[in-house]
This record gives sequence, C-alpha cells and structure tokens, in this order.
Amino acid sequence: MAANTTLTVNRRRFLTSAAGFAFVVGAAGLRPSATVAGSVADAEAHLNIWVSIGADNLIRIVYPATDLGQGSSTALPMILAEELDADWTQVRVDQLDVDDRRYGNPKFGMVLYTAGSSAVQGYYMPLRLAGAQARRTLIRAAAAHWSAPEERLRTEPNVVVDPESGRRLTYGQIAGLTELAAVPIPEASESLLKSRSEFRLIGADLPRIDIPAKTRGAFEYGADVRVPDMIYATVVRAPVEGETPVTVMDRDTLAIPRVLGTVMLPDGVAILAETQEAALFGKSALSVEWTDTAASRAHNSDQDLMDYTSEAEDLAKDGAIWRETGDALAAVNAAPRRVERLYLSDYAYHAQFEPMGAVASVTENGQRAEVWIASQTQSWSLRTVTETLGIPADRVRMHMTPMGGSFGRRTELMQPYLRDAVLASKAAGRPVKVLWTREDDVKFGAFRPAAAQKMIAGLTADGALSGWRHRVAAPSVIAYFNPLRWAQVAPQDVITMRGAESKFYDLGDMRAEHVITERRARLAPWRGIGAAYTSFASEAFMDELAEEAGADPVAFRMALLNENARGRWLIERALEMAEWERPRSETALGLAFAGYGDSMAAGVAEISLDRESGVIAVKRFWATVDAGLIISPNNALAQIEGGVVYGVSSALKERITIKDGEVEQSNFFDYEILRIDETPEIEVDIANVDGPPTSIGEVSTPIVAPAIANAFFALTGRRLRHMPFTPDRVLEALA
Amino acid sequence: MARLTINGAPVEIDAPADTPLLIVIREHLGLTGSKYGCGAAMCGSCTVHVDGAATYACITTLGDVEGAEIVTIEGLSPGGDHPLQRAWIAEQAPQCGYCQSGQIMRAAALLNENPNPSRDEIVDAMSGNLCRCGTYARIVRAIQRATQEA
Repeated sequence: MAANTTLTVNRRRFLTSAAGFAFVVGAAGLRPSATVAGSVADAEAHLNIWVSIGADNLIRIVYPATDLGQGSSTALPMILAEELDADWTQVRVDQLDVDDRRYGNPKFGMVLYTAGSSAVQGYYMPLRLAGAQARRTLIRAAAAHWSAPEERLRTEPNVVVDPESGRRLTYGQIAGLTELAAVPIPEASESLLKSRSEFRLIGADLPRIDIPAKTRGAFEYGADVRVPDMIYATVVRAPVEGETPVTVMDRDTLAIPRVLGTVMLPDGVAILAETQEAALFGKSALSVEWTDTAASRAHNSDQDLMDYTSEAEDLAKDGAIWRETGDALAAVNAAPRRVERLYLSDYAYHAQFEPMGAVASVTENGQRAEVWIASQTQSWSLRTVTETLGIPADRVRMHMTPMGGSFGRRTELMQPYLRDAVLASKAAGRPVKVLWTREDDVKFGAFRPAAAQKMIAGLTADGALSGWRHRVAAPSVIAYFNPLRWAQVAPQDVITMRGAESKFYDLGDMRAEHVITERRARLAPWRGIGAAYTSFASEAFMDELAEEAGADPVAFRMALLNENARGRWLIERALEMAEWERPRSETALGLAFAGYGDSMAAGVAEISLDRESGVIAVKRFWATVDAGLIISPNNALAQIEGGVVYGVSSALKERITIKDGEVEQSNFFDYEILRIDETPEIEVDIANVDGPPTSIGEVSTPIVAPAIANAFFALTGRRLRHMPFTPDRVLEALA
Repeated sequence: MARLTINGAPVEIDAPADTPLLIVIREHLGLTGSKYGCGAAMCGSCTVHVDGAATYACITTLGDVEGAEIVTIEGLSPGGDHPLQRAWIAEQAPQCGYCQSGQIMRAAALLNENPNPSRDEIVDAMSGNLCRCGTYARIVRAIQRATQEA
C-alpha cells in the first residue's frame, strides 16, 4: 500500500467507508460486490464500492442519493468520473437501493438521506477520492502489464496511455487483465486528486442524464411502477390527526365491481380494487365514523399564530439558544434606541407534483417484502418497512424510484404512504399500489410550520447596530418528523431555525433563539427549511432598522459585511444587474441578502402593485449566488431559477389554514401556486470562487420574500410583515 | 367496451364510462407518460390531445372520448424527436419532469394552431399548466427555440 502522509477528516471517513473495498479486493481479488444493487454483470471489475468497469468499457457508478428533480443523479457520478478520467458517454449510473451506510451522506451522519441541498457538498470529496483511487488502480495494472514505470503513464478518457511507447489500453481492456487483481490498491488519498485546472467534466455543463426520457414520457416515477398481479389501493384517512376509525360502512363500496375489500389502517381505511378507477369509486362510496376525542380537534391556525405571537413577545420566556455571540441583551439595553418588530408566516404546503404513494409486495405471511418507493431516504424507507412488519432488513428488497418533486416532503422517519402499502399488501396477499389523490396530499400534508418572530435590536446615536436578538416562536419540526433524531439534537432544531444564525453578517452581539411552541399540525422540512421564514424576518427587519437609523438599506448592510468580501460582491453585483440607481415610475426595487448553510445569495425584486385589488406582481428578480465550486453550471442556474419561483409563490400566495383540526384547503384551486403568467423574468449570476462546492437547491428561496417586502416599502412606504402577502393583507397595509 | 384510437392504434377498453381518461391511458394502456397531478383540471400534468385539442385527461371520461383520436406524449413523434422535445432537451427544461409531458403536449397544440406565437401568446397558452419546480422561463425558451428550428 502506498503510504500517505496527509490524513484529513474527509479522507479518514472515506477509508472507513471503504472497508468493504479492502474485503472485496483482499479476500478474493476483484469481483462483483453483492452490496451494490442493480444489474452487476460478472465480467465487471469492482475497483471500489463506488465504481466498476466492464470488459465492454462501460463504467458503472453508484448513485447514493435519490433524485427529486435537483439533478444530482448527473452531478454526483460526474464528480467520480472526473477523477477517474472516465469517458462520460460510457458511464452508467446505478441507483443505490439499499441502506448501506458505507454510502451514507457525510452531511447526515452517514444516513442515506437526500436533503438540505447537501448531496454534492457531502459526497464531493468521497466521490473524488473513489474516482482517483480507481484511476490509479487502473494505471498500476497497465504498468504491470507493460512492465512500465507507473509514474510515466497518463490517462485520457477511458484509456491509459504510455506516452513513451505510444501503447494504449482502454479501461475495459484493463478490467480483463489478470494483473488487475494482483496490483496493490492505492490508498484513497488527496495526493491522487486532480487540480481544478485539470477538470474537464466538472464545470463543463454536461446535459442531465434524466432529461431525454423526461421529454418522451419514458421516465419512470414511483407512481408509474407496475408489477405483475398488482392491485390498487386508495385510503380514506382520518380528517383530524389522532382520530381512528370506529365504524366502517363499506356496503356501497363493496358493491362496486372490481372492489376487493377494505382494510383497517391505524389512522384510516384502505379500499382495495383490481383497477385504479374502482379503488377511487370505492373511496367515494365509503363512509367512516371516526373517533372524536383527539386533542387536534381544538387546533385552529389563526389561534396558533396568536399563541405563537404571545410566546415570541413574552421576553421572560427563554428560548433555546440557536446561535449567540457576545451579549445581545446587554448591548440592546445599553443602546440609546431600541427597535422591535414582529413578523408572521403561515403554514405552507410542498405541492410537489407527484402525490405520495408506494408499491409494496408483502409475502410469506408478512415475513418478506419488496417495495418501490419514491422517497428522499433509503434509510428511513427501509426502517418504515422493517418497523411496520417487525422483520429484519435482510428480508426487505427496496427499489428507490425518482420523484416528481419533493422539496423535503418525503423525508420522515415513518412514512405513512409506504406503511399503508405494506399493510394493504400484507392483508391482500398481493402487490398493492397506494396512490394519494391531490386532495389527500393537501389534507394530509406535512407543512412548513407557522411561525411568529420577534426581532429586537439596538441602535447607537449614530445609527450603528448595537445588539441583535431574533426570537423564533415555532414548533420543532424535527421532534415530529424524526423523533429519533430529535433525541440526539434537541433542543437544536436546524429545520425550524436555519437562517436565524445570520452568520454571514458581523452582527456583533447577537442571539438567535428558538421558543419551542406546541405543535398543532403535521410538519416537515420545506424548501429552504427555517430560512424560508427566518430570512424573511431578518432581512425585512434589516431594512426597517436602516430606515430607523436614517441609513440607506444597502449601506446599512455593507457596514455589517466588512469581513465578508464575497458577500459584498454578491450585493454589489445584484445591484448592478438590477440597475439599482435607475429611477422607476410604476415599480420599485427591494434588496435581500441571506444564505443557506454555507452558501450565500443576494436578491433584488422589482415589483408593481394594483392598489385596488392589492395584487403584487413581481416583474423581475435578480439573484447572485456564492456556492463555492459549481459542478454543473446550467443545472445550478435551473435550481436557482426554480428556487426563486418557489419563493415568489410562497411569498405571494401560499397559505394552509386549519380549522377544528382539519386542513381547509384541498387542491390547486384553493392552494394556488405561481403560474407561468405570474412568473418574473429571472436573471442569475453565480460567483466564480475558490473553495469546495456548498449548496444550490435551496439558496435562492429565502431571499425572495424579504426582497419583495422591501420593494413594497420602496413603492408604498408601508411594511408587509405577514407572509404570504395576499391581497387582503396588502390592502390592510395600504389602509 | 369503449372504442377509441390511441396514438394511431385502435383500442377497446373494458372500464366504466365514467372512468377518467387519464386512468385509461395510464393504467389500462400502460402509457404512463401522462401524469396525475390534481384530478381537477388545475395543473395540466395530464394534458393529451383529443381530436387534436389539448385536453385535461383527468376530468375527461372514457364515455366522453368514445370514437375519438387520442394522442399522448408517447405518440407525439415516432422517435421522440418532435421539435419541442429536442428544444426541451436543448434548453434543459425539466427538473423533476413530472409536469413536462403535459407542458409539451400543451405546447404542441399551440404550435399546431399558431406556428409562430409571440412570447405573450406562449405565456397565455401555457398558463393552464403548472410547474412546481419553476421551469417556466425554460419552457418559454424551449417553445421559442422549437418555432425557430421546426
């Protein structure tokens, strides 16, 4: 083994995760590994757990995440292919279908979990090391075959070259060499990595591998799965969380041709049928009497926000400290002026286009299961099945399917849609496809929490910031959607609180705190997680502070960015793109600067207003983003554009209300999302910077609502402090 | 038995007359490119052509289309290389892609009627189809590209 002297955290993690590699190679030479799902041909040489090469010169790379539309099924294999010096046209991507933590996401403690815009960031170094190690292994085998010094050999895409003799061996040819099994495997070391100037795939805008099939209707989503002998199930769910079925009146349902029966579920009733239409007709005909004792029946979203507001305003009530530097309370108290504002935001629904669903085939009287599941996590989908049936993991075969959107929806520890398919299949003795209707998906959604945020700051006599306090009164999302995780991290809830750290500004004495309120709705991570509302509060407040200080909102921010040149550049560039100084007659501009994780973004919104109807139109939006190294520039632009659209939609329109424990909305006619004719022109510039990749998928959503609110002030002199900015709220602000 | 033509082929369907056309297409015929998004003509993921007109298959029933000619995304072009499909790839329009079959079918109906639409005409025609990933700008560009390259 080649000695290596530059151990790093990343490298150690990779070597740990490469334990299986050592076994595969050391014990039996290069051979197919049983841990990699998908079609593994016998002729393939497994260079490590991530990559194998066939005699046909095809390269198979394991894709450990899942694709909900973000495109990492292209970006992640590309990272490995870069260091392998692979011919991209010869690369095939294998979805990881098992909960094998050797492939886990380093950003989530090695759980198989695709969320938080973390896939590229988390897998960047492990995949580079795997590719570099595999490349070096191929070079060594070629060197042994030619009896040539290894140092002399070079690679071109899928070929090892000896520049001196002109000899060439394709990777496929090397995969068939007997020398391959005998060469010492190099350690996966950073010394093997390319320098950035040598990259030819990363940054080169390769088209996404999934897009051609998506233009032909040939891409298979979870909802499209069909297996032999499969039947269909719809589910009538308890209208209020916590209720259970008491009496099921299914005579009319059972009278419908091709309805097979009903199955009691913990919180609902499944209707099984030979056809999907019969399952839907049977659902309409079913009548269920529910218990009526659940505490959730007392929940009303208007009251929730009032109660959360009381807790945000009650400064005697301590919050869990999310981030603190210095002594914010003392700084505010010592300042000659104190500014306080309250910002509110409602529950919001993911509205991912593919509703929840799953296919399950449970056999051997509940002792074995095969499932097809569109989810963001192999680990928690597997756990849902093993917990539901009480069987070990080795009796479950999973197929992870791509998703028609998700935005955080399919991340929970116990996945009811999958659980229902498993229970229904166990009862039916046949494979069952469970599909939610849109109404199910809205009514039984898991939402971005409602939040009340109290912002408190001090200003010095000359208008400088002196103390910043950000109190977020909202329930814990993690405590609900993943109680096991909550046991590890409580009271630190990154899902509820992200963004409130405001770490890209130098705020001096600051405190961000989580006033953990009672949970009164089903909750889940939502695009941007906490930053989707905490950045609304902090950046709208930043503008209000500037006004109170008699300062320009740009200058006020820049004074807090002395140490952050890259952040200053983002703002300057966004202002330049927007022609910030150019006077407008019918429209106005607003600025916001925020981040997501380790990425930063600045945004400028240009809005107009119909003062009679109260309808805001976002005409244009300029976004600048710093996300470190960009793997796929065009796809990064697409994600940023999409994140802006999501943000405009959320800021202007989206609102879930709950009455007596029931969600009041049911479909896109009462939960409207942004349409094409309401979409602003969007212009994006991505900073060209050093440093590893950070995150892209959510960074542009948090800047949108505050930029709109700040533009509204520029246009009207009034403030919007309750998101979404629906026409009734706009008219109220104007009154 | 209801008779209709799907992508040029005559078929007989054994389902109640009030079965949504979308279910007939997806589950009875196995053409899963058309998607269920809302079941209420609100999102357009199910858009197909019925006798040449862009139609929400989710609220159209089997009884409504007796004898009609249906074209789905799978039948839009023999090789999946309709100018719109090529343009969709060139612009890298889809993200999750779930709505895109419906978007393309809506756009194809537009171009059949109006081969050279203005931007406003494109936006107006496409306003019945939602995209949650926010690919709208690329959809407009792809349609514009298709009109230039068709």
